[in-house]
Amino acid sequence: MAALMDTRILLRKIKDLRCLTPRRNRVKAKWAGSQPKYPATNLALQNFDATYSLQLGEQWPSVRVSMLCEPKYGALVNNFSTTEGVIADLQSQGCRDFVCQPVGVGALERLQAPGFPLHDNPSTLESVGVSQDVAPPRLRTNIKCFVFPGGDISRFKPSSLFHQPDLYGMLGYYLMDAASILPALALDVQEGHSVLDVCAAPGGKTLALLQTQAIRFLCVNDISVSRTYRLQRVLNSYVPKELLTEERMRITSFDGRKWGEIERDTFDRVLVDVPCTTDRHSVMEDENNIFKRARTKERQRLPQLQTELLLAGIEAVRPGGQVLYSTCSLSQLQNEYVVERAMHLAREEHGISLQVVDLRPITRLFKETFHFAPDPHLGQLVLPHLTANFGPIYMCKLQRLS
Amino acid sequence: MSVQATRRLVLQWTLRNATCPVLNLRTILGSDNVRQRGFMTCRLLCSTHNQTSTLHQHTDLSQLQLQPGRELSIRALLDMGFTDTQADQLLEAANKGRGGQSEHASSTLMALFVLGLNPSSVLKVLEKCPELFYVKGTQLQQRMDNLRRLGLLEGSLQRVVSHYPQILTLPLRRVNTVARFLREKCAFTVQQATDIIRDSPAVVQDDLGQLEYKFQYTYFRMGVKQAEMVKSKLFRVTLEEVRCRHSFLERRGLYQTPDKKGQTLIVNPKLKDILAVAEETYLADIAMATREEFKVFQKMMAREWQEEDEEQDRDMGADSDDDDEEEDEDEEDMKSGYRQRRKK
Repeated sequence: MAALMDTRILLRKIKDLRCLTPRRNRVKAKWAGSQPKYPATNLALQNFDATYSLQLGEQWPSVRVSMLCEPKYGALVNNFSTTEGVIADLQSQGCRDFVCQPVGVGALERLQAPGFPLHDNPSTLESVGVSQDVAPPRLRTNIKCFVFPGGDISRFKPSSLFHQPDLYGMLGYYLMDAASILPALALDVQEGHSVLDVCAAPGGKTLALLQTQAIRFLCVNDISVSRTYRLQRVLNSYVPKELLTEERMRITSFDGRKWGEIERDTFDRVLVDVPCTTDRHSVMEDENNIFKRARTKERQRLPQLQTELLLAGIEAVRPGGQVLYSTCSLSQLQNEYVVERAMHLAREEHGISLQVVDLRPITRLFKETFHFAPDPHLGQLVLPHLTANFGPIYMCKLQRLS
Repeated sequence: MSVQATRRLVLQWTLRNATCPVLNLRTILGSDNVRQRGFMTCRLLCSTHNQTSTLHQHTDLSQLQLQPGRELSIRALLDMGFTDTQADQLLEAANKGRGGQSEHASSTLMALFVLGLNPSSVLKVLEKCPELFYVKGTQLQQRMDNLRRLGLLEGSLQRVVSHYPQILTLPLRRVNTVARFLREKCAFTVQQATDIIRDSPAVVQDDLGQLEYKFQYTYFRMGVKQAEMVKSKLFRVTLEEVRCRHSFLERRGLYQTPDKKGQTLIVNPKLKDILAVAEETYLADIAMATREEFKVFQKMMAREWQEEDEEQDRDMGADSDDDDEEEDEDEEDMKSGYRQRRKK
């Protein structure tokens, strides 16, 4: 009998297209009697196969297999936690902080080749000597994020299990996709800046920004109230109460598109991490997948929404300030197209002129940790790869000139 | 000359010379090319009881060094046609087991010679599988006959025995169960089942559950039919290897499970191109990926399958219904972050 049951489960597992896990609760199967015939994840994959195979060419199969495998996480160290030994513990597991140690031990020799450009953006990059036998340049920042070496698929323990929360209830580190730290790094927050995060929930990038310990005033917004609650909970577990006061932080639930009317020309830095098709998530999770047929209209309106959000961010930043646009999708429609359109609209309708800031120094700095797309014509793109299963993340930095 | 006729002739010779005090096979039979018949004599004398019973009455024959129960000696081995070094090695292999030399050692040797193997092949076989020494000659014969009945004719049988002598250490029932399983459960034809046993004789030692899983995976998930399975020597490859190579292609988008009508949007690579080639060729031509990628992928797959098995065991035990409502990948919680992956 047991053998028969095994076979049935086996057959059921095997017969399903893509072997959807027969986890009953994946499809709210409390109510569903059977699995969907055409799961949303399949629709997502078909969509991606059609578009990205043309866009990425030969790299698409590698990206595809990485997105279908377990993602790799990074541990963003909480500088506000008073727990000792967090970093030492992480290092003893074999991790390294990719922000201040952009290269692993083996890759050091490769980077010390002549002709390696070390000085591009002197305000952010502090090159420790230009000669060949010295350590490669580092980014001057307080953000620390630990990752396992390339090809190592070990997992982090959840931080509440790893270390007890300290006296104030602060946790030691926050697990997130290490590539999501890059927009926070690229935003280059200087001391005393006021920063706006237009679509902040669930709060990973916000937390990374706070770790710089350089922000004078942080405005955190998300259109969804429930997600804002979650954001609040995350902040309570990681950030001390002094930073959560009225003068230092404001958490709101407005529609981000309206920011141009609410607060024009106010902020030094704006992070616009827009809602997108979350590619990796869409091929793995069926629950509330944006590719399901009920959400088709919503998905088709995404580029429009993204453009409006970016435009609002551009209006909210002061002249001379910088806006960073980021998504977690590979689609050119949601990335380059949106940025170009927003720049165009800003010039035409609001008289704002913008300049694209070159992010290649960041790319070069972290190319041992992440797998970047070879020179997209606008912005930078982190591609998932099995040896470095982070991303996908797209980011583009704009400087407001007028 | 038929086997029976030869036997009769040799028996006549033996009885005729029964009065000689020392029986040396070489002197009786003279030239080298009747070695075969000489071994027939040995077999004749050793194998069946009713045949040897009459001969045992002749005391001279007791001096024949190749009687059953009699220890193998260098002399005997040299007579059989082994060289000195070969004989030494053979004795070493024979005496290696616990309890010294097996009592069936000589009958084993007979049986192998009857099969038609030359001395060096016999030595190789016995070195590869010393357990054969402990199998009775009659049993060996039975098993060989069984294999012949399954379709392994002369030539194939020798090849199978030389490459995989362990097949002769298994009881009849085991081999027949596997053969029947292939025919009935997996719907291979008789000829195909024989081909499978011939090409991948190790299949007889596989766990039937694993065998079935491998077959079903290839049939349903990869959409491959029996003929192609046999051609690509599917049963030589481990289950993990099949799943790994296939999943790698599938997740890269280079392999699609055929739908109800057997159609796919892309042309799937043939099974033999996937399995029957070395890993480098597979990676370079079919998967078009680097070694590092594949190595990481294998590690990930091993972990995924292990966790799948654990979850299956848990589900079989208790009905668990954990509500993971988390959507975002940024979520800190390990349960949602790491477990929100699709099980393939």
